[in-house]
Amino acid sequence: MSNIKKSAVYPLLGIAVSVFVLIFGLITAAKDNRCCCIFLAGVFIVFLLTGFHRACLRVILPALAVAALFGLITYLSGRGFDKALSIGLRFIAIGIAVIPGMSIRPVDLTRNLNALKVPRGITLGMLIALNFTPLLKAEIKQIREAMKTRGTGSIINLKILYRAFLIPLVMRLVNISDTLALSVETRGFTLEGNDVSVYKKVSPRIKDGAVAALIAVCAVGALII
Amino acid sequence: MEKKKLFQKFTVKDIVFLAIISAVTLVTSAVMPLVIAVPVFGIIQVALGFQFSVFPAIGVMKVRKPGSVVFVAIFSGIVLVFMNPVMFACLALCAVIAEAVSLAIFKGYEKDAACFLAGALYLPLSLPFLHLWYKAIGIGDSGEAVKALVNPKPLTAVLMSLAVVAICCLGAFVGVKISKELRKSGALKK
Repeated sequence: MSNIKKSAVYPLLGIAVSVFVLIFGLITAAKDNRCCCIFLAGVFIVFLLTGFHRACLRVILPALAVAALFGLITYLSGRGFDKALSIGLRFIAIGIAVIPGMSIRPVDLTRNLNALKVPRGITLGMLIALNFTPLLKAEIKQIREAMKTRGTGSIINLKILYRAFLIPLVMRLVNISDTLALSVETRGFTLEGNDVSVYKKVSPRIKDGAVAALIAVCAVGALII
Repeated sequence: MEKKKLFQKFTVKDIVFLAIISAVTLVTSAVMPLVIAVPVFGIIQVALGFQFSVFPAIGVMKVRKPGSVVFVAIFSGIVLVFMNPVMFACLALCAVIAEAVSLAIFKGYEKDAACFLAGALYLPLSLPFLHLWYKAIGIGDSGEAVKALVNPKPLTAVLMSLAVVAICCLGAFVGVKISKELRKSGALKK
C-alpha cells in the first residue's frame, strides 16, 4: 500500500477556493458582520469535514488570536464593537483562506501545472520555493545560534547584521543552490524539450466538485440568511 | 568580440538560485502579518523593504539575465496567492517595470548599477500600484489600513515613500556589496 498522501483538493481548485474565500470574506466583513460570520463558519465546517482537518486545526487558533488582538485594539481605540468584529473577521477570513493552500502538496501543484504545459522553469522554481522554506528557516536559526555562541551581539546593529548574519546566510544559499542544481541536473531534469513523462497525473475528483459546490452554498446561504 | 544577446536563456542553476532567493525572501518577511493592519501609508513596504531589495539584488548579481527579478516575484508570489492575490499581481507587475527601467537605462545587467537599480525599484513601485488599484476599484467600507493607503495625509505619504525608497536603496546596496565580496572570495560564481 502506498504511504504517499494526496493533496486534500485538486491544486488549481484549491487556489481558486482560497481566492474566493478571501475576497468574499473581506467584502462581507466590510459590509455585514453577520453574513461574514455565517460564511466563514460554514466554510470552516466544510473544510473540517472534507479532509482539511489538519490544516484547520493548525490555522484556527493563531487566526483567532491575531483577530482577537486586532479586534481588541480597535475596540479600545473607541471605534465600537461592530468595527472591532469587522477587523477580527478579516483576519479570520485570511486564516481560513490559507487552509486549502496548506493542504496542497507542492509536488501535486507542480504536476498539475506541468500537465497544463506551464514552463518547467516556473514549476521547478515554485516547487523549490515552497519546499525549501522550512529548510531555510532552520538555516537562519542555525546562523542565529552560531552568532549567539560567538557572542556577536544584537542583529539590529547593521555591522553585525551584515558581517555575522547576511554573509554566512548568502554563503549557505549559494552552497545549497549549487548542490541542488547539480542534483536536479543529475536526475535528468532539463528546461528544454517538451516531451516529459508525468508518471502520476493529478486529476479532479468528485470530492473536489463537492467542496466547490459546498463553498458556493455557504456563500449563497450567508447572503440569503 | 561577439556581442552578447540581451535576453539569454535561463539554466537550471539560475532557476534554482532564484527560487532559493525567493524562499529566503519569504522566510525573512514573516513580520508582514504584524503590520498588515496598521493604518499608516506604506508601513508594509517599510517593514519588507530591506528583505525585498537585498535578496533580489543578490539574485540579479549572480544570474545577470533579464527576467531574474520577475522570476523572484513569481516564485515568492506563489505563497501570496493564497493570502493576498492582489499583492501577487502587484509584485509581478512591479518586477516587470523595475526590470524594464533598469534594462532601458543600462541595456543589460553587466553593470552592478543595473542590478542595484532593479533591486531598489522593485518594492517601492508597489506603493503607487496599490494606491491606484484601490482608488480604481473603490475602497467602500474597507479597513483602516486600505483607507490610509488610498487617502493618506500628504506629509505622511511623502515621508513614508522617502523611507521606503531609502530602505530599498540601502537593501539593494547591501545586496550588491555582499555579492561583490563573495565574488571576490570566489564563493559566488556566475
